[in-house]
Amino acid sequence: MIRLVRAELTKLATTRLVYGLATAMAAFAALIVAATAIGVEGAPPLSAYSFPAFVAAPTKLLAGAALLLGILGMAGEFRHQTVTQTFLVTPDRGRVVAAKLVAYPLAAIALALATLAVTAAVAAGWLAAKGIGPSLLDARLALPLGHVLLEAVLAAGLCALVGVGVAALVRNQVAALVGVLVWVLVVEGLLMSLLNAPSLGKWLPSAAAAALTNQPGAHLSRLGGALLLAGYALALAVAGTRLVVRRDIT
Amino acid sequence: MAVITIQGLTKRFGPVTAVDDLSFEVDQGTVVGFLGPNGAGKTTTLRMLLGLVTPTAGSARIDGRPYRELADPVRQVGAVLEASSFHPGRSARNHLRVIATAAGLPLDRADAVLDQVGLTQAARRRVGGFSLGMRQRLGLATALLGDPAVLILDEPANGLDPEGVHWLRGLLRQLADQGCTVLVSSHVLAEVAQTVDQVVIIAAGRLVTQSTLAALTARTDQLVRVRTPQAETLQALLAAQGIQADPDGADQLLAAGTTTEAVGRAAAAAGIVIYEMAAERSNLEDVFLQLTTHQGVRS
Repeated sequence: MIRLVRAELTKLATTRLVYGLATAMAAFAALIVAATAIGVEGAPPLSAYSFPAFVAAPTKLLAGAALLLGILGMAGEFRHQTVTQTFLVTPDRGRVVAAKLVAYPLAAIALALATLAVTAAVAAGWLAAKGIGPSLLDARLALPLGHVLLEAVLAAGLCALVGVGVAALVRNQVAALVGVLVWVLVVEGLLMSLLNAPSLGKWLPSAAAAALTNQPGAHLSRLGGALLLAGYALALAVAGTRLVVRRDIT
Repeated sequence: MAVITIQGLTKRFGPVTAVDDLSFEVDQGTVVGFLGPNGAGKTTTLRMLLGLVTPTAGSARIDGRPYRELADPVRQVGAVLEASSFHPGRSARNHLRVIATAAGLPLDRADAVLDQVGLTQAARRRVGGFSLGMRQRLGLATALLGDPAVLILDEPANGLDPEGVHWLRGLLRQLADQGCTVLVSSHVLAEVAQTVDQVVIIAAGRLVTQSTLAALTARTDQLVRVRTPQAETLQALLAAQGIQADPDGADQLLAAGTTTEAVGRAAAAAGIVIYEMAAERSNLEDVFLQLTTHQGVRS
């Protein structure tokens, strides 16, 4: 199993996708810091305690990038027909999907940590220029920072898991990407207004993701959100694996 | 001993029966040509043999087991399927290293097989820029990675230039000499005729014949081509001796199942002028065509 995970990570490291994503994330991180720093009217003035909010800025974007990574990693095998070779090497298809379910969250978490590091460096630089020096020894700073880190890691890992699951189920790369977008932007909104009850709406996947990243208006706890999202990811992955194992590769 | 055993193999895609109750065996150390026109079910059969497509009925086994149950598939079986199954953005060397990693093979096998197929120069180039012939070579390199004793190749000569086809023949012969068992599909008999020991011919998903190449060659006819201004007279003369001769052009006859000596004597005895005479063999390809167009006829 470990060698299959390593093979998946090697696949990722030997194409340009992940490097492009990392570059884009770093650029976005710098932009977001700048936008937050310039601030909006009425926002509290910058202080050392603004630092965690700066670092947390790219979390939502990272969740999206992780989802994209997971989808491309699984559906890309079908798109480029590399799945034939992959299944020739490892005829036990369930193990291939399992390896992806391990490798892609790992890669997404690495991407998240790298992006957070860049964001933190840019934010620290910005604050330093204003004469503000955040200290990690300050518990009022360290604790929120820890939360930010945990949220980003969980969001990236779980979204990558969902991405792999969706793509295993759908197989077609474009259909998987469009499907996820339509689900998040259209279907969930419709369901929300049809259900007209936050008590039901909070169980939807993106509500779970929102709760996980502790966004305002979330109705679940952070842990609840994480568990719910993990449940969705697992259900998708199990259903996707069952299909992948049975379908003919022609 | 049979290394590959296909038994009652059947695959239906909806209303279409792609492979229909197909059975044959491939013995250890033999090179077998798997022949049939396009759409005969060759690729579907090979994909079932490799565990990629699930049969509707019957079984396909390698070393007595379905592919999906092999202990170490990469070291036991090498396969080349369609030429396009590479990520275009990955280099040839990295493609092989990914597979070596997944199969638990040493990474330097990648360089060894690249050298074996003559792709060392292009090792670090991205596969997206490869020609069809280079992709076929990379496909072969992939198949050879685990140094397997069984090779399954689907139309490996597609896209190769004449020099590439020549090289492929040499490689297959060399592998066969090392004791490899090879099942190689093709829609052109001539492509594999110089390499294979046996042929399995299918048409419309059914077995037409499995025989040695020698037995197939024996089915070709001995022909005698005669050019004479008295073609009709000679034709009648030969017919009287029980030899069938058909006109082929204005002043030519093509006589089957006879020899130049017999035709020459008959013509001399009757005082017929002969301009030209030559022995010919009907083409192996003609036999193949004849077999595959009479679909489902077993012999």
